[in-house]
Amino acid sequence: MPALDGVLVVDFGQYLAGPFGPMVLGDLGADVIKVEPVTGDGMRLAGKPFFGCQRGKRDIAVDLKTPDGLAIALELIERADIVHHNMTAGVASRLGIGFEDAKRVNPDVVYCNTWAYGLEGPLAHFGGLDPLYQASAGLEYEAGAAHTGNAPLYYRFGMCDAANAMLSVVGCLAALYHQRRTGEGQDLWTSLFDGGALFASDALLVDGEALARPRLDKGLHGVSACYRLYATQDGWIQIAAVKEVEWASLCALLGVPELADDARFAVVDLRADNRSELEALLEPLFLNKTSMFWTRALDEGGVPNEIPNDTNGGQQVLFDSDNVALGLVAEYEHPTMGKMRQFGELIGFSDTPGNIGGPPPRVGENTREILEWLGYTDDRIEKLSSDGVIYWPRADYAWTV
Amino acid sequence: MAGALDGVKVLDLSWGIAGPLGVLLLAEQGADVIKVEPPGGDPFRSYSGYAVWNRSRRSVTVDLKNPEGQAAFMRLIDEADVVVEAFRPGVMDRLGIGYDALHERNSRLIYSSCPAYPEGHRLADRPGYDALVQASSGQQWEQPGWRMGPIFLHMPMPSMGAMFLVPTGILAALVAREETGSGQHVTTSLFQGALLFTTQIWQYVEKAPAAFHDLMGKSYPPGIHQQMLFEVADEKWVHASVMSGLIPTKSQDELLGLEDAPDPFAFMAMAPEEREQFTMKRRVAYKGHDRDVLVSNFQAHNHAIEAVITMEEALGAGATPHPQLLANNMVATVEDPELGTTTQIGVPINLQGTPGAIQGPQPMPGQHNAEIFGQLGYSESDIAKFSAVRA
Repeated sequence: MPALDGVLVVDFGQYLAGPFGPMVLGDLGADVIKVEPVTGDGMRLAGKPFFGCQRGKRDIAVDLKTPDGLAIALELIERADIVHHNMTAGVASRLGIGFEDAKRVNPDVVYCNTWAYGLEGPLAHFGGLDPLYQASAGLEYEAGAAHTGNAPLYYRFGMCDAANAMLSVVGCLAALYHQRRTGEGQDLWTSLFDGGALFASDALLVDGEALARPRLDKGLHGVSACYRLYATQDGWIQIAAVKEVEWASLCALLGVPELADDARFAVVDLRADNRSELEALLEPLFLNKTSMFWTRALDEGGVPNEIPNDTNGGQQVLFDSDNVALGLVAEYEHPTMGKMRQFGELIGFSDTPGNIGGPPPRVGENTREILEWLGYTDDRIEKLSSDGVIYWPRADYAWTV
Repeated sequence: MAGALDGVKVLDLSWGIAGPLGVLLLAEQGADVIKVEPPGGDPFRSYSGYAVWNRSRRSVTVDLKNPEGQAAFMRLIDEADVVVEAFRPGVMDRLGIGYDALHERNSRLIYSSCPAYPEGHRLADRPGYDALVQASSGQQWEQPGWRMGPIFLHMPMPSMGAMFLVPTGILAALVAREETGSGQHVTTSLFQGALLFTTQIWQYVEKAPAAFHDLMGKSYPPGIHQQMLFEVADEKWVHASVMSGLIPTKSQDELLGLEDAPDPFAFMAMAPEEREQFTMKRRVAYKGHDRDVLVSNFQAHNHAIEAVITMEEALGAGATPHPQLLANNMVATVEDPELGTTTQIGVPINLQGTPGAIQGPQPMPGQHNAEIFGQLGYSESDIAKFSAVRA
């Protein structure tokens, strides 16, 4: 039985930072009900990012702005262990599904809001997209080596969306554990903005002044002469000669054993001080041989290294036999898009294995089934549908996914 | 008020980033964490970020290869709810403190492992520094940069992903233990941490048209969000976003002082060259503005925008901290035993009923030997024996 078996998560989120957290909870065995507007999650149009945050969920499409729709939402909240969404400030309360509303029907509920910025403060009323928080946390500045005069650089994976979602997962589980032990629910929040800051948590000030930390070179190779990418005759190699013995071995393999004892490079701090000088000496040596030559030689000499893998946009990773055999890849079939693959199990459990469900649901995929579970009669369901309060996929299905 | 994880006892044997930082998220929600270091201390103490990632816990030093040291460690295991380690698969077993041995000793123990690669993978015996996993997992090839080829990610992406997976697995196992009464082995890896972030992009979709993959594809110059980075006066930068969730009260072009700006529909209808020409005009206009004035003007008119700053600047180096960072209670002063008065990030998870808190600075190696082993009845001379650096 999965770790979160029997845990009901009601997910009112849209886009990314809301829905991704409930998807991860679903992977751990929670029953996740996505409550979607009858007009569809705004992210469906984008396809891929939508798929990436929705697998394994059941879906009910409801217009929350109608009294009947709100009543359905509250009936779901009543049964929920966790309520989760990423609406901007005030929206949930206006709809009638804020924390106070939720607590009224479910006193020990865990209620989570993932914000863009935060609960209060000068920018709390703003929504926003991932790159803003890569900017405010210094990630773009460091990624592009802006201190060298380069332009800042955006990390193309939506890092801060994922950070916000994962902080919410950790927060919800901590609150759920507390609830299981004490019977007390509570509300909690996380944000994209704080998620970005956590990624840059190696930054700190001493007496108000920045403490130096390793930076990228202008060519975006790495953070020190011994922990970086080098171009080879036919490609690239990443080395990590972290220990003194590995440094000495590296010099020997490159045919310059005398560098190991060179006063300019003798210890790690000196190699940092004289980094560009050292890199200028090492770069041409790597260019003399192929990546395969170097990885074999470095392995032999005990110097940690890896050839950067070009995965063709991740396709290779999703069809790698070891990844597939170990369950790191999930495959399921979507009604219109056919077979889909995405990463699979991110956490293994010896006794309570995870449970990666089916494909991302279509709009209102499980509307009928969920309403029947709530005790709605067929007549009532048909009436709600003809009133436009609820929706399930029919011939008029307007979305591609 | 007690934290949500009050009373949960964690032994942290991990090193690097993912383990210590993942454990931090638990510690600051109230878990009682003891860092278990080799005599002489964790060899990674000089790394930047160490003081932040290892705060909010106590430290003991113990030689796990010394039988008396291992016996003392086992006494700690008797009382623990969670143990966290980040060695290569098999290392803990060889020390005699693998999952089976510890589970037999304490069946309620949750045993969390976070090596670089999962056990059974052909890469599992490869060395596991973050940048090596960036390389092997394909992250470096996926990141566009200012040249072709793989790009080194300054942010240690695999570790930062695994940092979330470590506490997630532990907490799910704690919740399950409330039902089953039993602990278990929970495993993740830096490699799986890297996969976590690929969710929006790395997919195989059988019937998808090519455009489906292009949307989030890698490109030169780097993609859509990169085009929203603008240089302003004094070689500084801003990142403007298209969505704030609010209705702008003046257009971007008005705020930049651009005459004859097309409305968004006219802009979209332009031929690509014409659009590019206008975009260039915009880029030039941005350069004429002071960064901080521009940012507050844009924000005052409901445009989402941020200055591209360093994290140190956000924390207040050379300026005042980012006002939202202050509002989120994310600027913390910590008296560090090694560094002195420091400013660090605060607690990024906000439980309102049981608020989290920083529990103290990074401990010095073995700082709590006497306190923790003393409570188990060990004398000072006993402790000295199994905590000493071997000759």
